[in-house]
Amino acid sequence: MEPLFINLAEAFTGWMISLGLDPGWAEAVLLVVKWIIVVTIITVNIIILIWLERKVSAFFQERLGPNRLGPFGIFQTIADAIKLLTKEDIVPSAADKLIFKTAPMFFIVVAVMLYTVIPMGKGMQVINLNVGLLFFISVGSLSTIALLMAGWGSNNKWSLMGAVRSVAQMVSYAIPLAFSLLGVVMITGSLNLQDIVLAQDKWWFVILQPIAFITYFIAATAELNRGPFDMPEAEQELTGGAYTEYTGMRWALFFLAEYTNLVAVSALMATVFLGGWQGPWLPSWLWIIIKTYAIILVFFWVKWTFPRIRMDHLMSFSWKVLVPVSLGNILLTGAGIYFCRWMGWC
Amino acid sequence: MNGQGLIKGLAITLKHFFQKEITEQYPDVMPELAPRFRGCLRFEFEKCIACGICVNSCPNDVLSFETEKRDKSKKKKLLSYTIDFQYCMFCNLCVEGCPTSCLSFDHDFELSQFKREDIKMIYLRPEGLDEAQDSPADQEEQKDKEQKQIAAMLKALQKSPQKVLSKLLEGEEDINILSELIQSDQKTAGKIAELIVKDKEKAVKVATGFINKDRKNRAQKGENGEGGDKDV
Ligand code: SF4
Ligand code: SF4
Repeated sequence: MEPLFINLAEAFTGWMISLGLDPGWAEAVLLVVKWIIVVTIITVNIIILIWLERKVSAFFQERLGPNRLGPFGIFQTIADAIKLLTKEDIVPSAADKLIFKTAPMFFIVVAVMLYTVIPMGKGMQVINLNVGLLFFISVGSLSTIALLMAGWGSNNKWSLMGAVRSVAQMVSYAIPLAFSLLGVVMITGSLNLQDIVLAQDKWWFVILQPIAFITYFIAATAELNRGPFDMPEAEQELTGGAYTEYTGMRWALFFLAEYTNLVAVSALMATVFLGGWQGPWLPSWLWIIIKTYAIILVFFWVKWTFPRIRMDHLMSFSWKVLVPVSLGNILLTGAGIYFCRWMGWC
Repeated sequence: MNGQGLIKGLAITLKHFFQKEITEQYPDVMPELAPRFRGCLRFEFEKCIACGICVNSCPNDVLSFETEKRDKSKKKKLLSYTIDFQYCMFCNLCVEGCPTSCLSFDHDFELSQFKREDIKMIYLRPEGLDEAQDSPADQEEQKDKEQKQIAAMLKALQKSPQKVLSKLLEGEEDINILSELIQSDQKTAGKIAELIVKDKEKAVKVATGFINKDRKNRAQKGENGEGGDKDV
């Protein structure tokens, strides 16, 4: 089972070369195929995830959740997707049409880009970048621009308000997010995510870097616009924030991208802190899925437990608590590494 | 410590996560209703005495009925009873007020209809239900009442027979005879009293019969007694 997908990829390339294709071109075609697979996985996964979140949130509130369509209501999301696809596409007449229309596409593209570097198994990666972590952080913060585009393009005060909030929030939380990952980078000495996974064969970094894990989790929740940090959406005050004016498929794209981001961030968290694809008995690609889903469930748990935080508290929490703590963590990690070297442990 | 509350909150939601769902799968599984649940208002035609208490106690003018005078007696005869249920607020006042408890709430709560008119519930007089078929409770009550009236009449008769009998008979002589009879004989008094209450005409007839009989007796006595009043 273990090298199943790698063998498949090699067989595919070999088949294309045997058809008389230049090896360089074969690689390129393989890349396209990989992308298609990633996008398919994301879409199917989102259908499951939305169902899962509805089910889990229902259980937290002692409800049943969707249970009409198919066993345990598993086809509910598909029905919803069909509904969204067939809905009328409304563009407000006063909107900035170009920006309004490109914003959701931009958002989803950015979200899908995150999957490029995540190691989905031993040697399974779309591209093995040696600055993978940096790539992930920088591309991840790009989604702010999409939200700002959506808010600005809608020409609606709620949307703009939501966009402004999301920019403020994401900029503030990107800093502790990056800082909390720095500790791990200092220990492994590499930004390559495969290297980071390999460095965890003895100890997961959640044990070596517990503070970083917690700060990363909090900052990631804020980056994902998830409860209790869902200020940019805040249905009760902003009627959906930047998404207010969106309908049908365009809105669905935002929704899709949010869940895509959620999976990506959870997968990164599993990779960096929970040993990635490493694990006994099961094949590596199954391990990363299990770990990712475990983290996603924790995200759900947090969202359905805590009430939304106030905007000013949100900002002051980032700058007054998370940034100093993550900086302190870097200092502590550096001191620890030097101590180790001095003692001759590593 | 800061953050303790967050942990507590997470623990609470986790606890609820594993608890049993409280959702009622309504159309598939009927909910369990409390015994005094107020569903649909039901009316039992046979019990109703058309007293109008329910109509008076309803704050929303839900209830109304139509009656007809029963022949001979003062009692009303219920023709139809209407519950315009759309205005009911399930306050239970009508049920509490009804003396014969013919109104009651059952457990049927699926009351929606396609048309507004269909919400109205009209109970028509069931065929074959006439005065003879008054409910046993009703009959007993009437009997009771009669018995009381008879007793009262008897008392009055024994106390001042002349006065009572003057309403029944005309001749002063007759009245005197009968009152003497009543005072001397319990049985006659009882019979006359009962008849007065139940049927006046018959009472007059019977009374006249008594008087005539008495007269005859006296006449015979007179014949016998011409020789002397030994027997008496
Ligand atoms: S329950 Fe209340 S509102 Fe309804 S019919 Fe009876 S008295 Fe009227
Ligand atoms: S109170 Fe009862 S007995 Fe009287 S009219 Fe209403 S339903 Fe009939």
